[in-house]
Amino acid sequence: MRWTGYAWAVVATLACTAAGLAMRSRFDLVNIAMVYLLAVVVVALRYSRGPAICTSMLSIAAFDVLFVPPQGAFNVEDAQYLLTFAIMLAVALIISRLTDSVRAQARAHAKADAQAETERLRSTLLASISHDLRTPLAVMCGASSSLAEGGERMSSPERAALARSVYEQAREMSEQVAKLLQMTRLEAGGITLERDWGSLAEIAGSVLARLRERLAAHRVLLELPEDLPLVRVDAALIDQALSNLLENAARHTTPGTLVRLRARREARDLVVSVEDYGAGLPAADMERIFAKFEHGTAEGSRGGVGLGLAICRAIVLLHGGRLWAEALPGGGSAFRFTLPIEEAPAVPAETALA
Amino acid sequence: MTTILLVEDEPEIRRFLRSSLGAEGYRVVESPNARRGAVDAGTQKPDLAIVDLALPDYDGRELIRNIRQWSTMPIVVLSARHQERIKVEALDAGADDYITKPFGVGELLARVRAALRHGARASGTGPLVLGALRIELEKRRVLRDGKEVRLTPIEFRLLALLARHLGMVVTHRQLLAEVWGPSHVEQTHYLRIYMKQLRDKLEDDPMRPRYFVTETGVGYRLVGDDEQ
Repeated sequence: MRWTGYAWAVVATLACTAAGLAMRSRFDLVNIAMVYLLAVVVVALRYSRGPAICTSMLSIAAFDVLFVPPQGAFNVEDAQYLLTFAIMLAVALIISRLTDSVRAQARAHAKADAQAETERLRSTLLASISHDLRTPLAVMCGASSSLAEGGERMSSPERAALARSVYEQAREMSEQVAKLLQMTRLEAGGITLERDWGSLAEIAGSVLARLRERLAAHRVLLELPEDLPLVRVDAALIDQALSNLLENAARHTTPGTLVRLRARREARDLVVSVEDYGAGLPAADMERIFAKFEHGTAEGSRGGVGLGLAICRAIVLLHGGRLWAEALPGGGSAFRFTLPIEEAPAVPAETALA
Repeated sequence: MTTILLVEDEPEIRRFLRSSLGAEGYRVVESPNARRGAVDAGTQKPDLAIVDLALPDYDGRELIRNIRQWSTMPIVVLSARHQERIKVEALDAGADDYITKPFGVGELLARVRAALRHGARASGTGPLVLGALRIELEKRRVLRDGKEVRLTPIEFRLLALLARHLGMVVTHRQLLAEVWGPSHVEQTHYLRIYMKQLRDKLEDDPMRPRYFVTETGVGYRLVGDDEQ
């Protein structure tokens, strides 16, 4: 960047000189000086002071040597051209100074905008945290203090129920905090993919086993073709994206409804879908739900800090894929993401049986 | 009495582990840092060590390497989330299993029991029964509902390695090095393909395996019926 300005100073002067030489027979020297002045103005607007001064100096030298009598020499017969030179230099200084200050202002504005955005996120974050983390905290404080202070007067099933609710709320909170941390990490670019050959069927199986309790109220169908190709992914992250989508589907639909996890190959992509048969998404929400700290507008769709889908999208993007929502005909919504397919190297064949 | 060495710097975590391990009848020796842990590992004659990976003085992985130089006692590591790589390194350095914080005590006790059983089990055990499966390592055969299942040599080696570590995680690197050889530790796609074959032959629902459990990003675990 630093040197391109100077390069353009040279190029602009050469171009003006060529134009000046072509104009010489038909135009006054003053007009040729104007052409040089134009070069100075353009470079001063585009680059900083150094290249602008450089352009004016080169222009003065070229104008003086090639056009101002006596041609081919540095000395000037008519003193009025000294004024022309001074003006060129002054224009370079004034315009580059103006440009620099405009640029500085623009930078300050951009910084202020970024700060305002950070500020907005921070306040939404605080609002989410206070709402979504306070409830489990209140339960934990209440239940554990009852146990600590009056536990011996309770029946043992009562004690067990209180202890269990502390445990469940703590788990829930730990999930939410992990999501916050994960989002922060993804945004700070602090995550490098640890790609490895992975099987989507395997990742899905392990997610379903882990989420067994959370998905217990729904009928979960796993529809994966037998010959699904392996993918080069960070399995832990894809596991997380898939978990978030499945939890989302379960959270926003009526118990007893179907949740489908399917995948298919489409040209060079693996397309993975989580489909639910809930109320469906309003068209206005299709894109908005992927923003941080956003919840759908539909009734009863709160829960969690609103980071699940934003995390999913960040993870899929890191893998070079896309994630989007679609309305399903007949109600319900589908969340689909793609993962690029690379052919896995062959595995040596084994013929003998043990 | 079984003695468990607990190397963990957070007193609150030591407190609940002390009471729950104590309630299970284990004697618990507590070390607040790695240096002390290394000494206690030698003097207190523990049967198993639980090691936190983030210790104040030096890395838990180093403590594991240190213990492994002279002892085969089972080691279970406690790791924070998002420490996948450190966790896997600890396992490859000689730890036998891991559990991620925050964890429920039930989960930890299951890991401890599996690791103690593994430590106590010498070579040459009887058949391993998992539901309808009967795995007879000495006879190199596997029965499913009483009928022999034909496994390829690689499938069998994979199964045998997991079975010898019943209930415990075996990392990708360990599986690849032992089954295919040390020059193949990067070929994770071999594992994906052979685990699918094993599940297809031995699981009722291969997509939702009951016994051959995936530890995403880490390895695989063969889970016995009593830990389900």
